[in-house]
Amino acid sequence: MISSRLLSLRRRWDIWSRKPFPTLVRLFLGRIFRGGGESGQDELDLSMGLVLTLLPLPGAFYSVFLFEKYSTLLQWMQGRTDVDPLSAAFPDEYFFIVFSMVVTGMVAVWRWDSIFPDRRDYANLVPLPLSTLNIFFANLLAILLLTLVLAIDVNAASALLFPLVVSASVNAFSFFVHFFLVHAFVLVLASLFGFFAVFVIVGILMATLPYIVFRRVSLYLRGIIIACFAALLSTSFAVPPQIEQPDSAVRFLPPVWFLGLCQLLRDRASPSLASRGRLALIGSAAVIATASVTYALSYRRCFRRIPETTDVSPPSSAGHLGRIFRTLDRVILTSPFQRAGYRFVMKTLLRSEHHGLVLGGFFGLGVVTASQFLFAAFSGKPLEAGSLPSAEVLAVPLILSYCIILGVRVVFDIPTELRANWVFRLSLAKTGHECVPLARKVMLTFVLPWVFAIALPLYAYLWGWRVGVLQTAVVTVWSLLLAEILLLRFRKIPFTCSYPPFRDSAVVIVLLYILGFFLFVGVTSKLEYWALSDSVLILWLAGIPVVVWYVLTRFQEGRVEVDEELIFEEIPQGGFELLDLGHGT
Amino acid sequence: MLEARNLSKSYASIPAVREVTFSLAPGQVLGCLGPNGSGKSTTVKMLTGLLEPTRGKVLFNGEDIHKDLVGFRKSLGYVPEEPNLYPYLSGREYLEMIGILRGMPSSRLENKIDALLDLFSLHPHRHGSIGSYSKGMRQRILLIAALMDDPQILIFDEPLSGLDVTTALVLKNLIKTLGEQRRAIFYCSHVLEVVEQVCSHLLILRKGNVIAYDKTESIQDHVEHSSLEDTFMHLVEEVDTEKVSREIISAMEAA
Repeated sequence: MISSRLLSLRRRWDIWSRKPFPTLVRLFLGRIFRGGGESGQDELDLSMGLVLTLLPLPGAFYSVFLFEKYSTLLQWMQGRTDVDPLSAAFPDEYFFIVFSMVVTGMVAVWRWDSIFPDRRDYANLVPLPLSTLNIFFANLLAILLLTLVLAIDVNAASALLFPLVVSASVNAFSFFVHFFLVHAFVLVLASLFGFFAVFVIVGILMATLPYIVFRRVSLYLRGIIIACFAALLSTSFAVPPQIEQPDSAVRFLPPVWFLGLCQLLRDRASPSLASRGRLALIGSAAVIATASVTYALSYRRCFRRIPETTDVSPPSSAGHLGRIFRTLDRVILTSPFQRAGYRFVMKTLLRSEHHGLVLGGFFGLGVVTASQFLFAAFSGKPLEAGSLPSAEVLAVPLILSYCIILGVRVVFDIPTELRANWVFRLSLAKTGHECVPLARKVMLTFVLPWVFAIALPLYAYLWGWRVGVLQTAVVTVWSLLLAEILLLRFRKIPFTCSYPPFRDSAVVIVLLYILGFFLFVGVTSKLEYWALSDSVLILWLAGIPVVVWYVLTRFQEGRVEVDEELIFEEIPQGGFELLDLGHGT
Repeated sequence: MLEARNLSKSYASIPAVREVTFSLAPGQVLGCLGPNGSGKSTTVKMLTGLLEPTRGKVLFNGEDIHKDLVGFRKSLGYVPEEPNLYPYLSGREYLEMIGILRGMPSSRLENKIDALLDLFSLHPHRHGSIGSYSKGMRQRILLIAALMDDPQILIFDEPLSGLDVTTALVLKNLIKTLGEQRRAIFYCSHVLEVVEQVCSHLLILRKGNVIAYDKTESIQDHVEHSSLEDTFMHLVEEVDTEKVSREIISAMEAA
């Protein structure tokens, strides 16, 4: 009986799913997830399953790490009794709210161009016997479904694990259920808020700006949004203690509103938090409503105008760039390969949204970290004329330099229009290329101009020329060394090689980058601070790059010729390799 | 069947097409010729309803197509200039999707897709993603998508682009046969030789204006040229091609 019911339902579902509207919804869901690029070529093709599996993992890990904090045994061993789990959960819950908002918001930024139907959709769908209203509603439904799935998925593990961890010390199932329901509801709502807030910004811009202006503004705006998200995430542990302070600026942060909503639903909210909680509800409704309206407006304005904007391309700034390139040709670009390669790399970096976004993300991370260092250096302390700058202040240019150079190195591995790399394959010899000098010069282009034009005069003005010159020298030399280290084994023209395969060592590389940050920023700024206090230490400081340079040179000398051949495809390393020792005997 | 009446289109007050008028009866294969920027693509977009004309209208069986675009498109098969497909779908999945969106019944759709994939030599590749297809394979997918619902009007914009010799020959014969079967066909191309062989009528555009519209032979007779290439050069191009060739060689050899 039940199986025949199920069969009949299945049959009905099959028939329904093969109707035009569900087919359109499926198409849009796939398109939003898979993007518009050539599969397997330019875009990093992440399947829906992989993304949905990866997203809840950080929340799950963090929940498990918190077990130590909430474990009754450990609390007893540490002599802590009468711990109120709800009060203890206050800062952690803030982190989870921020995390869920940031992840869904970042997905909206990542899929910015895929949210609205594009030229490809227009070319494929509009000539078909479908009303544009059908296309409109199918895409809207796809966005809503995707947002809901994402909001649930991101919080799936933490919404269950965190309440379990928190309620470990309370012997009441009702406590767990209540905590879980409130926590899950608020997290999902916060995720929806994060996604639709980004959506509203895109929608308003699309609906109000001319298309060309929108495309230009879009990249910078996405960079700013990423920086805001990075700031939100990196300050998530500093905000909770300030929430209850009267007139604190943190009350304007949306995650604080959602934390207020948690407290409101648990009946533990102070009057100010209760009002924040109500604001979260009103804000969510307003954001979703505004997103729907802006979607309708921008759909009408942009989608229907696609065929009229086909041939419109933004005017180029070739005149200014031409002068800059000619100057660089005379000064630093010493060969035809470097001249051509430098132009190609810089223009790609400045014009490709994808590359610009990733680089912007690293730059944003640098700005956020640098501002935290500055905040730590000056909180409550006035700037004293004549005194030495603290290690935190000296670290600021190093942080920016590290993030930018690392960001540039990472984007070098992101290909663009791989099918167009035939021109390099055709015209370049495999050996004797100058990929490393080219990449190094591009990396330093993003660092040295502001080090000399801004950091040097600023540090010299505030702390004297001795500090300014030493700081500039250290940042320059360390940046050069960092570029050299990151370019070890580099033998490709940026953007022309396929994606490197995922290797088991990827996690180790990320950990090395983090370790590198502490060495490059933390250790160097401390050494520099000591060197400023004691001139003899300057010699020690000067000795470090010499040693590093020597090690790098020896490493380069040990390379065989085949490791230096220019590549256009990253071949995955096999688990084992046949030596074929019998060949030729 | 299909009639363009005083079609004009301006982009930001710059006219792209001016007062274009022609009709396409069942059985006619109307070739549309013109140099780059002559307004061919804009005309095609207006004919398919992708673009609304600034002035004038497109009539289908005497009715403005914009009154019932969905109904008009049911009778329309369109091969666009660019094979702008979804690269993550397989060829079969794409055709299935187009068939469903055209409202074709499942039973008919499955059989047609398989038969047409086979005839266009794509059956072995049907489960491969379109992203891995060559330009010619993508073009064949577009052709199948345009043909599979048996449309009464066919609009081809450079349909031979990327096709191998055999498929191109098949397509030329197919267009002739479709014309003989009373389908109305609008054929836009730069390949004059094919247009000469396939089209019963010609529409020649220059700078957005119609400069010739008649039967193919009548136009050739009128300008007293034996080949369509000579006719086209006489009517459209204002450049001395031999002189330009010599200048290119001079520029190549310049120090």
